[in-house]
Amino acid sequence: MKIVVDQEKCQNHGLCAISAPANFALDTDGKLQYHESFNEENIDDIEDAVDSCPLQAITLSRDAA
Amino acid sequence: MTVDGPVVGVVGTGVAGLQSANAVLERNPDARIVIFGDETHRTYNRPGLTKKRYQLLGTSGTTIADELKVDGAASDSATWRLGTRVESADLYNKVLQLRTGETFDYDSLVIATGVRPRISAEDARECAIHVHKTLRDLDDAHHIHRELRTGTELTIVGSGFVACELASLATEYGCAVVMLEARRGGPFERVLGERIATALGRWMTRNGVTFLTGDSARDRLCNGDSSAHSELSSDRSLLVEAIGSVPNVEWLHGNGLDLSDGVRVDGHMRVPECADVYAAGDVARYPDPWTAESLTRREFWKNAIDTGDLAGRSLASSLGCGSKISHIRYFPLMTTEVFGLRIQIAGNPKAATSMEVVRGDLDRLAHGVVVTFSKEDLLVGVAYLDKGARLNSIYIDLVKTLKAHRR
Repeated sequence: MKIVVDQEKCQNHGLCAISAPANFALDTDGKLQYHESFNEENIDDIEDAVDSCPLQAITLSRDAA
Repeated sequence: MTVDGPVVGVVGTGVAGLQSANAVLERNPDARIVIFGDETHRTYNRPGLTKKRYQLLGTSGTTIADELKVDGAASDSATWRLGTRVESADLYNKVLQLRTGETFDYDSLVIATGVRPRISAEDARECAIHVHKTLRDLDDAHHIHRELRTGTELTIVGSGFVACELASLATEYGCAVVMLEARRGGPFERVLGERIATALGRWMTRNGVTFLTGDSARDRLCNGDSSAHSELSSDRSLLVEAIGSVPNVEWLHGNGLDLSDGVRVDGHMRVPECADVYAAGDVARYPDPWTAESLTRREFWKNAIDTGDLAGRSLASSLGCGSKISHIRYFPLMTTEVFGLRIQIAGNPKAATSMEVVRGDLDRLAHGVVVTFSKEDLLVGVAYLDKGARLNSIYIDLVKTLKAHRR
């Protein structure tokens, strides 16, 4: 599985960075940076990040290339 | 054996209703779920209504709706009764009375009817100068976005989340904006206190908004005197009231529930007076995980998701499905953006007895400000305002500390 962020929807609110700081962060300009791949042990945090996003910009894709 | 699964009624098509339906179906695929809603639309992302500009509407007016679709709402695992208001409920005999005249018998019920905008006075809805609107649902948003696109002058009453986001949005559309805040010193005062509110009021002004408070705001309010007898012409400017909300609970009267501010539930989202009835989302008032003695009702995206999920899991558990359920663990986090200034709030600043600016300067919001809120030396809330994210790591560290404080 990998993390997919819809850049059209994302408005860099950063709630994901609070839920799952290991995978999401805002750079100093306030733009979202994230790692597509993640450690299974962080799945709860990442699902929380998916739910937290008020723009619904984050999804988990099962068919990771 | 499973021909007759339990019948679950969900009243409310918002994200809390959808989330609870999905949580039930995940654990009990045999459940027959019927979702009732006043609106003719399936679940959409309500917080998104004010957050950005949308493409010009097609004749069917679908563009905003398309962009605000919510994952899972397209699924037909549940039966959707859209445009079907539930008039009243007999929770003891487990029957809903629908506006259509039909009745609906259920085994379990989720109350997710949310809130509606508060209005200052019923008879002040129209005046000779303004077309009055409120902004709560997709149809409101269609209308308001269409008006803003014409560059109309916009007057906003109130200075909460909806009001501030709308002001920012209207300016993006090229409208002149007047904000009237008669009762407080500035935006979010009830949540963040007077000092930050005053600074935010200046921020609005600096960004071109005519931000009026106190008497000068009161003088500009429509006083309900529409006796000017002027024709209700189409060129009146737009006035949007955004002064809070009222829980939609009237249909539940007569069942002996505590409806003093929404529907009171326990830590599992169960309505204590009635077996097999749950409530979730904006309408649910639950034991605050932060201050065990008090109850809280919250109107934010993540609250709707978390309480909807919990209500659904509790319901499924009562049907013998799913594992043991936990108490509400909602951690309050909210975020907004007003004229490029991102405002993030964590925890419960309202409970604080003191605040401290730990980084930055309230006179220079754009450079980043981090504020902590404490009650008896215990951290209860953090706020972070910035144009960019230079201090974001400090904020996240404080939020972690805050999370650790929670019992």
